Amino acid sequence: MLNLTANNIFKNFGGLEVLKDVSFTVEGPELIGLIGPNGAGKTTLTNILDGALKPSSGTVYMNGERIDTRPPYGVARAGLGRTFQVTRAFRRMTVLENLLIPAMAMRATARQRDFEEKAQEVLEFLTIAHLRNEYARALSGGQQKLLELGRLLMLDPQMIILDEPFAGVHPRLMEVIYRYITETNAEGKAFIIISHDMDTIFTLSRRLLVLNYGDLIADGDPEVVREDPLVKAAYLGEDEE
Amino acid sequence: MKPTVLYRVAGAIAVVILLVIPLASSELGGLGPLVLSSYFMHLAITAFFYAILASSWSLLAGYAGQFSFGHMAFMAIGGYTSGLIGKFIRFTTAPSELCTDIPLLGNWWLVVLNIRRVGTIDESCLDMAKTETLPAGTLIVFPPVWASIAMGLVMGAIFGLLVGWLVLRLRSTYLALFTIGFSEIMRASISAEIPITEGQSGLELVPLFPGGLLGFTSTSKIPPYYAMLLLFLVAMAMMTWLAGSRFGLFIRAIREDEEAAAALGVNIVRYKVLVFVITSTLAAAAGALQFHYIGIITPNTLIILQMSLVIAMAVIGGLENIYTASVGAIVITFVLELLRTNITIGPLHVDMTLWRLVFFGLLLMLTLRFQRNGLLFPILERINRGGVAAETVSIRAAPTDEEEEGEETNPPSSSEENATVEKEAESNDVESDR
Repeated sequence: MLNLTANNIFKNFGGLEVLKDVSFTVEGPELIGLIGPNGAGKTTLTNILDGALKPSSGTVYMNGERIDTRPPYGVARAGLGRTFQVTRAFRRMTVLENLLIPAMAMRATARQRDFEEKAQEVLEFLTIAHLRNEYARALSGGQQKLLELGRLLMLDPQMIILDEPFAGVHPRLMEVIYRYITETNAEGKAFIIISHDMDTIFTLSRRLLVLNYGDLIADGDPEVVREDPLVKAAYLGEDEE
Repeated sequence: MKPTVLYRVAGAIAVVILLVIPLASSELGGLGPLVLSSYFMHLAITAFFYAILASSWSLLAGYAGQFSFGHMAFMAIGGYTSGLIGKFIRFTTAPSELCTDIPLLGNWWLVVLNIRRVGTIDESCLDMAKTETLPAGTLIVFPPVWASIAMGLVMGAIFGLLVGWLVLRLRSTYLALFTIGFSEIMRASISAEIPITEGQSGLELVPLFPGGLLGFTSTSKIPPYYAMLLLFLVAMAMMTWLAGSRFGLFIRAIREDEEAAAALGVNIVRYKVLVFVITSTLAAAAGALQFHYIGIITPNTLIILQMSLVIAMAVIGGLENIYTASVGAIVITFVLELLRTNITIGPLHVDMTLWRLVFFGLLLMLTLRFQRNGLLFPILERINRGGVAAETVSIRAAPTDEEEEGEETNPPSSSEENATVEKEAESNDVESDR
């Protein structure tokens, strides 16, 4: 079973302390929301978990193996996949090629045709099968978000971090993303979802982490966190009682 | 006809034509009314040389997004390595005592010639040894040309590895500036080390086939033509295989977005270094072969104008495809020569040996402004992707299994929505950026 443990993560950019002693553990296929105001350190934390940034101090372990010293491709191969706040499809490659990259990167001797069937299933699940041979740059913003999610299904990680998956997405595509998260989670994958869409994040997640200027100020059941005075004061815009 | 079949047929026809061209050369008496001059054959060899450089640079810059300006430096590394081996290395059956002698198997010695200054004259230690220390009857053998060329390739690969590793974290402008710096350092070093490289006077290389080949003399154009054609075809075959493999897929992903590729499990360090090593080796191979054919190499081969020429060839043909880049190089090599013909219109006399580069520059600017993907690449794209828009529309419009069974589904069914899809597909076909 998946176990991800972040221990006492600190991250400084010059004199700016972006993360301060952040610790948490993910056990099994949890569905976690990560919220916080702009500048709270959400994306920095994601980049540290993903290997794109090294923590100033602290460690990250995944299934007993230390991953904060690995490069991003090593973290991906260890079983952690992510999307980006701004969609980063490979624009001058076809939708199908976009999907084949993670699948082939995970297996040294694999050939493209070994994964085409799986890619087709993923595209059908995401309702963009008709676009398989189009260049990714021809897709709408929402469709590109679906493509990013599809790449993660091809990567097949144990844990997925989604950075703002619902931002700027048409309600119909939002339904697809919602279904993607719930069904993939039911299949045993853990999620950390960063979003400013409070209604969705409270409905979707079963655990909530709240960052505020680098401090992890709450970690628990969304309904309990919603009533936390610190969270209300820092993020939800209500005065501390 | 499927594009892949079309390409195979076109490729086979092109290879056959390239193979029979020498039959029409004046050396072999021509082919009926068609008699190609020795100068034409020289141009063809030069065209293959530039085609290898442009296509390998296309793999580096067009596929992997590594805009290096050091490609001609790697080419020169191949040429100079091969030339220096010819100048400084000999095999003998006895130690020279005056040079650096390295024992080999049997009675053979590898002799590295060092330059001895005698009075005001530089004299080779081996020339001195011939009269002073070497016993009579000692055999002195030049290294085979193919071995010198092979060492040129190895040196190109080593420098490619070094530069590839150094520029790992550099992108766009910084990478370009770094590689310009590397190229200039190479040029300045070669110019400065006159005792070794002969500086601006140029380093002489032994002919590609010193004793001739199959009845052709060492100055014949026919053997070098086939040698360069062979290297060109091998390089194209290798790059085609690479571009179509996981290597090609990954380097294109790196070109598009390094961080996203890494987050999906692609070892970007490995593939960036690999693409530098492979393309540097190809450039070095082309350089070694070309300058054995020409007979002399000078530091001017590294000037930025030469690099710009290769870039322009790749850009005008189509940077993102090794075939369009190589065809661009071949066509431009010939066109630049054709443009040497002076033009006289009434009292106006245009010296085209000077003005041809202006026209060439104009063509480059117009291509970049109006056909950013080159003049040939869009044609290939039209052939390759002609049916994609129609396929998108037909798949989207086709009823799903669930619809056929009459179950409740959400896909577009109204004619209005399908019309939108068709419009979307059309806009996709012209590669709109949304």
